[in-house]
Amino acid sequence: MTLSSSETRVRKVPRKPRPAPGSRRLNPLRLLGSSIVWLFTAGNVLVLYWLVTAAFKTPVEIFTKPFALPYQWFHLGKPFRNFAYAWTNAGFGDAVLTTVVLVGLATVATVAVSAPCAYALTRLGVRGSGPLTNVVAIGMGVPFQTVIIPLFVVLSRIHLDNEYGLFVLYVALSIPFTVFLLTGFFRSLPDELEEAAALDGASPVRTFFSVMLPLARGGLITALTLNAIGLWNETLLAIVFLKDQAHFTLSRALFTFYGAASYQSEYGGLIAGVAIVVLPMLVLYLVLARRIISGLTLGAGK
Amino acid sequence: MATLTTAPAPRVSETRDAGGAHLRRKKRLFWPFAAPALALYLAFLVLPTLATVVLSFTAWAGAGDTPQPNGVTNYTRMWASDSFQYAFRNTLVYVFLGGVGTFALAFLFTMVLRDMRGGKVVRAILFFPNIVAPVALGMFLGFVFKYQPGKQGLANFVLEHAGADAAKFLAPANVTGVVTASLIWASSGFYITILMAAVDRIPPYLYEDAELGGASPWQKFRNITLPMTWDVVGVAGVLWTINALKIFELVFVLAGPGTYAPPNQAWTLGIYVFDRTFGSNGTPDFGAACACAVAMIALVSVLVVLLRRVMRRDALQF
Repeated sequence: MTLSSSETRVRKVPRKPRPAPGSRRLNPLRLLGSSIVWLFTAGNVLVLYWLVTAAFKTPVEIFTKPFALPYQWFHLGKPFRNFAYAWTNAGFGDAVLTTVVLVGLATVATVAVSAPCAYALTRLGVRGSGPLTNVVAIGMGVPFQTVIIPLFVVLSRIHLDNEYGLFVLYVALSIPFTVFLLTGFFRSLPDELEEAAALDGASPVRTFFSVMLPLARGGLITALTLNAIGLWNETLLAIVFLKDQAHFTLSRALFTFYGAASYQSEYGGLIAGVAIVVLPMLVLYLVLARRIISGLTLGAGK
Repeated sequence: MATLTTAPAPRVSETRDAGGAHLRRKKRLFWPFAAPALALYLAFLVLPTLATVVLSFTAWAGAGDTPQPNGVTNYTRMWASDSFQYAFRNTLVYVFLGGVGTFALAFLFTMVLRDMRGGKVVRAILFFPNIVAPVALGMFLGFVFKYQPGKQGLANFVLEHAGADAAKFLAPANVTGVVTASLIWASSGFYITILMAAVDRIPPYLYEDAELGGASPWQKFRNITLPMTWDVVGVAGVLWTINALKIFELVFVLAGPGTYAPPNQAWTLGIYVFDRTFGSNGTPDFGAACACAVAMIALVSVLVVLLRRVMRRDALQF
């Protein structure tokens, strides 16, 4: 690095060409653009900061010192007062368990049903599978509101308007997106490995389970993650099909708590509830951001 | 095709018998593999949609009552009602105005983010609102836009400290605008992510070439980025239309007092269906709810077909 050494005086061919003179010029549009980008980014970080700090604040602090660090509850020595309130009084404790089990099982079941279907639609060479894939993909455009009435009538008649019915609905309604996503992954896999397995005498079923499925692992993880986020946040179906407060999901519990909390000015507990819903997904996102983004790209950008 | 395959078919199967047998075994796998997912799809999406269409032509107060055919009465009555007109208009506002705002922002960001330091981190941060439950997002925005003297929300807190007057953001007259702005903020990250992924696939020499020629960011966007990502822009547009049309929880919570439906002026089609089915104000009316659900399907179909027609271009190979 030091200029005095003789080595550096020997002229080397630069690895990367220098940027052209025009590109580094400050121009007003670039300046405006990057300041908007930074403002926007800072805004999002501020939102996250506000959410996390407000969850530890008293209602007065939330409204009068929105940007300060929490003080009162820490001063009194019970910093987790809001979380404790949401956990016990608003039923978030039960809801966490219900949501984790329901979302976990539904996500795994969705992928378990969708992966063979996506494989069959892309790699078995059956005529008509192209149009059939499109028919399934159209299902992504159907708003849930459209199917909710017939499903509600039928499921409540057979007494499945509870978490079991919701499980089946979550799996069934996640299928169009998941199949569509996974067909993209299976289509991108090389033919050679499949042919090699066939030459080695592996049956088609075995080829699927021991060759193709492991190869599509990245796609399966993406599908699991995106479904987990989607179902964790799902509210409409949970509002319609869950009646028993003991088996509410998190978003459903939050929805119910909202009305009550506004009446009682229990804003601290409410924001702690929001944090309980949001933060686990934030962690999942931070861990798997690259997979999530690659999955979205595959789904959207062919 | 048919005439071509008939003659040489026997020879092909003769010479490649082993391959043919394997292919047949593979094809036999199709239904066992595809049937479970397709059956669930049929039972929980296709059939209920058809049932909704049929029910939309009946008078049906709700569970316990029996549906009675009544022609297009639901549709005419729905079309004449204030609540549906608000819902319809708001939904169109969210789809079009929100779409223009979101995509304008996303395009601006593709111009800037491509050669910005820390772009990956920025993208991840911008995506953040998309992993938040719409219910939680609505509540948070409710806090931001709260108007209550002495207990002002974040936006009014900032306004008052800047010396301005607090505004009633969530008054019925303003709520559509506030929701549109919120929607643009919350969803732009998703579209930025998708468009940026497409931009990353564009060969960099095109930009280098443009830079040597001294092109401005706008010229680069207009002549390189947009034509090269046109396909993805089209898909993103379809996704936007679908997602904006079924918006429900965000508005319900942001504009409403809590578990009751918000004032009519803030309604969307999704809220109309929900309110007529499980409504807190008045008795349920499944017939009307089904009619509105059919209107949603019709609207999404029309908009998507129109969008695809508008976006149709010759594909660029690169």
